[in-house]
Amino acid sequence: MSNATINGRRALTLSTRARDRVQVGRLGPSRLRIALSYAVLVPVTILFVSPIIYMFIASFKPNNEVLSGFAVFSPQDLSLNNYLSIFSRFSGPDTGTFTGFLTTSLLVSSVTVVGGLAVNSIAAYALARLRWPGRNLLLLGVIALVIVPFEAIAVPLFYMLDGLRNTYLVQFLPFIASPFSIYLFYSFFAGLPKSLEEAARVDGAGAWRTFFSIMLPNAKPAFATVAILQFMSSWSSFLWPVMVIDDPTVRPLPLAISVYVGTPPYGWGNIMAFGVMMVLPMLVVFLIFQRWFIRSVVASGVKG
Amino acid sequence: MGQFGPNGPGCFGQAQIGGTTTEVDNVKPGSRLASTTAAFALLLAVGCGGGTTNATVNGGSGKGTIVVWADQSQSGQDKATQAEVAAFNASQTDVKAVLKFIPDADLDKTNQATSPKELGDVVQVDGPYMQAWIREGKLGPINGLVSAQTIQNQIPSVIAQDTVNGKLYMVAQIDSGLGIYGNKALLGAAGITYPTGLDNVWTADQFTADLAKLAAKNPSGKALDLKLNYQGEWPTYGFLPIVYSAGSTVMTGGKAAGHLDSTQVVAAAKTFASWKPYVDANTDDSAFVKGRVAMSWVGHWVYPAYSKALGSNLVVMPLPDFGNGTKTGQGSIAWGINTSRGNGKAAAKLLDFFANDANVTDYTSGAVDGDGAVPATKTALAESTLYAPSGPLYLFAQQLNKTCGSGPATKDCVAVPRPQTPGYPVISSDFSAAWFNIFNGADPQAELTKAAQLIDTDFQDNGGYQLSG
Amino acid sequence: MLLRPKTPVASVQQDTGAAVVMVIPAFLGLLAFVAVPFLLAIFLSTQNLHFGSGLGPTWMGLEQYRRLLLDPLFSADFYRALINNATFAVVVVPAQTGLALAIALLLNRSLRGMPIFRTFFFMPVVFPMALVSVIWKLIYAPDDVGMLNTVLKVVSFGHIQPHDFLGDPKTAMAAIIVTSIWSGVGFQMVILLAGLQSISGSLYEAAAIDKAGKWQQFWNITMPGLRNTLVFVVMVTTILSLRLFDQVYIMTRGGPLNATTTVMYQAVTAAFDRGNIGNAAAITVVFFVLVLAIALIQRWFLREEREIA
Repeated sequence: MSNATINGRRALTLSTRARDRVQVGRLGPSRLRIALSYAVLVPVTILFVSPIIYMFIASFKPNNEVLSGFAVFSPQDLSLNNYLSIFSRFSGPDTGTFTGFLTTSLLVSSVTVVGGLAVNSIAAYALARLRWPGRNLLLLGVIALVIVPFEAIAVPLFYMLDGLRNTYLVQFLPFIASPFSIYLFYSFFAGLPKSLEEAARVDGAGAWRTFFSIMLPNAKPAFATVAILQFMSSWSSFLWPVMVIDDPTVRPLPLAISVYVGTPPYGWGNIMAFGVMMVLPMLVVFLIFQRWFIRSVVASGVKG
Repeated sequence: MGQFGPNGPGCFGQAQIGGTTTEVDNVKPGSRLASTTAAFALLLAVGCGGGTTNATVNGGSGKGTIVVWADQSQSGQDKATQAEVAAFNASQTDVKAVLKFIPDADLDKTNQATSPKELGDVVQVDGPYMQAWIREGKLGPINGLVSAQTIQNQIPSVIAQDTVNGKLYMVAQIDSGLGIYGNKALLGAAGITYPTGLDNVWTADQFTADLAKLAAKNPSGKALDLKLNYQGEWPTYGFLPIVYSAGSTVMTGGKAAGHLDSTQVVAAAKTFASWKPYVDANTDDSAFVKGRVAMSWVGHWVYPAYSKALGSNLVVMPLPDFGNGTKTGQGSIAWGINTSRGNGKAAAKLLDFFANDANVTDYTSGAVDGDGAVPATKTALAESTLYAPSGPLYLFAQQLNKTCGSGPATKDCVAVPRPQTPGYPVISSDFSAAWFNIFNGADPQAELTKAAQLIDTDFQDNGGYQLSG
Repeated sequence: MLLRPKTPVASVQQDTGAAVVMVIPAFLGLLAFVAVPFLLAIFLSTQNLHFGSGLGPTWMGLEQYRRLLLDPLFSADFYRALINNATFAVVVVPAQTGLALAIALLLNRSLRGMPIFRTFFFMPVVFPMALVSVIWKLIYAPDDVGMLNTVLKVVSFGHIQPHDFLGDPKTAMAAIIVTSIWSGVGFQMVILLAGLQSISGSLYEAAAIDKAGKWQQFWNITMPGLRNTLVFVVMVTTILSLRLFDQVYIMTRGGPLNATTTVMYQAVTAAFDRGNIGNAAAITVVFFVLVLAIALIQRWFLREEREIA
């Protein structure tokens, strides 16, 4: 910086280079830089998303054209046949119906998520922000349980819950309390500045009041993340339902896709169509929550 | 149904926590710990019911509602089953059959996890897994329940596959056929002399040489499709016959060591592995149909698609002879009765219905998108055009007619049932893993010896999987 | 009016009451549906139990463990699985995190349409791993029909021959790694992006005034500011990556020649293909102990800096 004089007063002025940089900061990047950014971002994004595009297009193509190199992207032979055949294949109580599968999956996943958000968030808050005997021990226990994969407990859990076969209950009950969700919430709450609660506590607010009035509004990103993750995990759950459900009327979606996967001739087009239908609700849930998520993250400037 | 197709692996049958089930029925969430302790205790104690062949429980009154668990595989078969059940219900009022489909790939895990009480009255089971089911108390003998006439009309290969200790457990609508489909045009263009029947089969060496010739002529550089894209039971079904064709067995005297890994099998495995450069990966499942390969080693279920694509250009040939004569597979999905539920007599009526000529023909014929399966009754087989001596699939019928039954595989018999033991799922799992490793370049002796040892260890752990009674 | 602060003793007591109530539902759920089954699994690992067997479990003591760790018949596959798991984690954690950071930096601008780009990068996360595996299985299909082979051929003007990615022991693991990174990078990116946006912009302005270059800004402002976020992301990704199962089950079945077999794959096939519950349980117990050790070591090395909670 140079010590020049302006109007007789000594003033700190910036060197030319620094001035340019600050100017850049004030007015925004130059047009060239914006164009460059897009020039990089757009192709990279398209390349990244191409497998998803492939899936969508393949779902409208006949089975034997799905694996044909670039030819699959040609606009010929597009049809809804794959989707229609899913409905005709699953047409009654003996096979289950697509809407039935969808309803089951929606019901089970929604209950898991709503229950999970409630149960896991308050537990994490207690672990992160309250002081009480046994807290550290329990925290250690939760973290240890994060490591236990579902496959390890599937069979023992099955032995325990065999009496609840073919119900909705058995599909969501074991998954409401989730070590991973608690850990996510815990990390989030622990990272919030203490000052947030201090005012309320000094005013005599109890733990519950503090949770609802201070923590909750500031924890939207965490709630959104946990909601999305728990929904996904429940929606795509396969191993557990396959063991405890045989009744087609309470069967969730992933079990039905096996019809196309296990038996030749493999209907790749059918599988892609089924995949699209399975993923759409999750995309919707995600789109709903992500705007909330991103907006609130930017607004509150909270550490992850 | 079911074309036997690549089922999910290993049907282990269920947690014979038949006892435990009643304990934890309707347990309130709060007392879960209590019920878990009960589960522990029960596991430690006698454990489960079953373990014995299902005593012929009282067959019931022959009336009432029965639940039918069917394998959901090909849509043509599903429709056929639906139609048959509807016709059964319409034809009489004593028994009402309620149908429930389980997708083929889920079937094994679901079955493993279901106790006999919760399983259907009528169940569809893949032949070689039958003994495992019996051991878990999910299947009972059907002699005396199903009519003698039905039993008498079943073809010998089915009887051989589905009988244990002199008692019959299942009745079939179909049996399976396995062979090599060929594209006459491509074979002719490469100058290959191919077998026209069971009298002039390839030797393994001739076959290998012919593969090279065919690959040289084909722009794809490949000659053979082994359905590598199939999972589950396929590798065992498709390739276990090679073990018998090589002059050995899988297990003898309860031991696999010395048999599965004998020198003959190792040699055959080496030959098999040498075909790899000529084999198409078949991810799109249409290598044969699109002409990338001249031959396809697969079962009956592809016949409709293949004949549609190749027409009169299609030929069906026996598998190569590895020294002990050509051998092929047999056995498919069949219907059994879960007698532990006490509705044996009513269930048997449905089985009789399924096994009558009209339904068998319906199921297997092109009329309902049949899949080319071999009709499992003598009379239907005699009337079938596909399987008549002049028919395109006559070879399959011939092979089944020359079944080795439960005796040793001699040079002359052709169709060999897969090992008949409750421990079959382990055999299938370990064999197919070893076989694919060998195909991908692993040392055949090491892999087969390892598979044999794994099988033996498992059998030892489980007391040889004895079936009492 | 004087505000009388509550005494610390009193507030701890009150906290305890509320804390217990808050924690009870989750605690009961975890106990009943995670802890107890796992204890049961530990118990079962000492038994010989066949899934569906008519006989109850019989005592085997530590035989399952002996086999798994010492008997070459069983342990060769298990150790290979451990090596594969380690390879996968060691490659995926840095690569996926680095890639996520790069994308987050790229997206950390106020250009128009940023939310759309963010959404696209996050999309794969919403797909179940099984579906992702099926799609990529098609992409990796051998011969000219596979999408990747076609792309490579076009891009190289025909020089690159079609390759069987999933069928070649040398490339199978790499193929699975790419699929996994594609699927998970969006999740990390979003978290890192949030972390980036929480770093105060004035720090950058001050640095600019001090003539600090972009690179210096990155190392001295961005990285320290992201430290906690990064630590969280790395730990979670490590634990999740060690559970590799779905891709292997669908794309390669542990092959070819054990190139992609993993611990969880072996546990599941032991339980459901071979019906050997004792063996499967032993595998998962060993897995748990190993991962716990890794997580503890990681945590010790990467202690987060937090405000005292």
